[in-house]
Amino acid sequence: MTRWLALAVGCLLVASLLTGAAGPGVPDTLILWQIRLPRTALAALVGGGLGLSGAVLQGALRNPLADPGLLGIGGCAGLGAVLAFYWGVSAVFAPALPLAGLAGAAVGCAFLLGFAGRAASGPSLILAGVALSALAAALLALALTLAPNPFALAEITFWLMGGLEDRTLTHLLLAAGPIALGCLTLLRLGRGLDGLALGDEVAASLGVPVGRTLRLAAAGVALAVGAGAAVAGGIGFVGLVVPHLLRPWLGERPSSLLLPSLLGGAVLLLAADLLARAAPLLLPLHQEPRLGVLTALLGAPFLVRIARQVAPGGMT
Amino acid sequence: MEFRRGPGASDPWWGAGAKPLPGSGAAPRLQRLAMLLLLEALLLHPAYAARVVSLNLCTDEFLLLLAPEQAVAVSFLANEPSMSVVAGVARHVPQVRADAEAVLDLHPDLVLAGPYGAQTTLALLERRGTRVERLAMPQDFAAIRAETRRAAALLGVPARGEALLTDMQARLDAVRAPVVRARAVFLQARGYAAGPGSLADAVLRAAGLADAGAGGQPGLEALVMHPPDLLVTATAPDFPSLGTDLLRHPALKQIPRREVAPALVLCGGPWTAGAVAALAQ
Repeated sequence: MTRWLALAVGCLLVASLLTGAAGPGVPDTLILWQIRLPRTALAALVGGGLGLSGAVLQGALRNPLADPGLLGIGGCAGLGAVLAFYWGVSAVFAPALPLAGLAGAAVGCAFLLGFAGRAASGPSLILAGVALSALAAALLALALTLAPNPFALAEITFWLMGGLEDRTLTHLLLAAGPIALGCLTLLRLGRGLDGLALGDEVAASLGVPVGRTLRLAAAGVALAVGAGAAVAGGIGFVGLVVPHLLRPWLGERPSSLLLPSLLGGAVLLLAADLLARAAPLLLPLHQEPRLGVLTALLGAPFLVRIARQVAPGGMT
Repeated sequence: MEFRRGPGASDPWWGAGAKPLPGSGAAPRLQRLAMLLLLEALLLHPAYAARVVSLNLCTDEFLLLLAPEQAVAVSFLANEPSMSVVAGVARHVPQVRADAEAVLDLHPDLVLAGPYGAQTTLALLERRGTRVERLAMPQDFAAIRAETRRAAALLGVPARGEALLTDMQARLDAVRAPVVRARAVFLQARGYAAGPGSLADAVLRAAGLADAGAGGQPGLEALVMHPPDLLVTATAPDFPSLGTDLLRHPALKQIPRREVAPALVLCGGPWTAGAVAALAQ
């Protein structure tokens, strides 16, 4: 399975580099390096980070509805990035952009884990996440309203419905490090997550350091999601959909889902971004559809399906 | 005499703090002018207004260039040097938001506004008997002439309007038509290219350039594949936004670039000739 997913990532990377407004096929070197490469690599990185974060959150919180976007972590990251960008901090010190996104995501993670520690029941955690994402979206809109540039207000759509068009190599360099570090942290949590799946007490009796695993999970998710949201805006549902799509093949064990979810997330976001770029070439559109819109169109019905499945028995 | 050229009467002022407010030293002359204007207004121009509030950056600029002594309050953007050509004067004028209560509290004789935005506020003001005039957003130099004359007439200072237009015409006439018209694209926030019928298009053509933009978003890849001879942008670097960040994309670095002060092209007015002069060099 992992091998097939890696192959799919490879095919989509090539297809993505060969598709664009300038027409299909190998483009001008400048277009290839400066326009398509950053976009393609960011789609793979951001998608991989979101897919892996979703798998880790669903395992660590023992909640099938956990998703960095749904829980508001992506929103908090976007808020941090907006504050750094529109007040000119990132113009002076470029790494402030991913760092602020990271800080926002870390605050969101800390809040949710603190909440989950006290009231572990599934629905209440999701409700807390919904509240957090509503708060983050409202503060983000407020921050853009108050931004020094009066035209910044028009950019709310970007942050709420993220996208990757016209990103530069600088964005790629800024985001790649934190996302890679976050993914490495999360990939090493497999055994701990397997233990947590049996409950905190059982995990502790098996010798799993529960607190440390949760803290590492939070740090990893903050790194992977925070830096991604800082350059890509709010892209939802990837972390929710990918682990669910993979479970029928790979089973329920969180550790066996980690690497496939990383690859699956990259596949999903690369495919969605490819679709966004191909749409104006195939259909009479004068604008690309937003990337976040495409993932939401896929993810929202999926969420309804999962909610129907878990409703009768209640969430564990 | 020291004040040979009375401020406001005949010499146009191009903003950014270079010229002070009408000072006390010029008061006798200004008062004479005001008396003359008042007489003229009573006899010929029933539209003359004494207390004017402006709620839109573009009308702020017309008001403060044509009749700063009548300005009771202007919008907060008038104060911003990167967007307003009258920031130097606006610093000394109170600010007001487009808020019916705040405006009514100022008891204006005339409220100047743009054609878009704050329409419910304007409707409320009109119901309360306040005179509201909506100035159009001129998109070419003929419309700029018409709108300047209309604003000058509303403020009761037609001579100042003509003075501004004479200066604008001199700047436009100073442009020498080039032998070969370079193909230029005026690229705006979010990668929108100015198209025919826009103010940016009028500026490019007046500067002796061929406007290669066709409106809409050409996209980075198309611009790199078919680069124009010149890329014209008008951004305020102090105010980062994603939309203008795009204009600094490294893939565009190979296309020759000319920056225009955004204040000159944000609103169409006599000052827009300054953008033409900058591009024609």
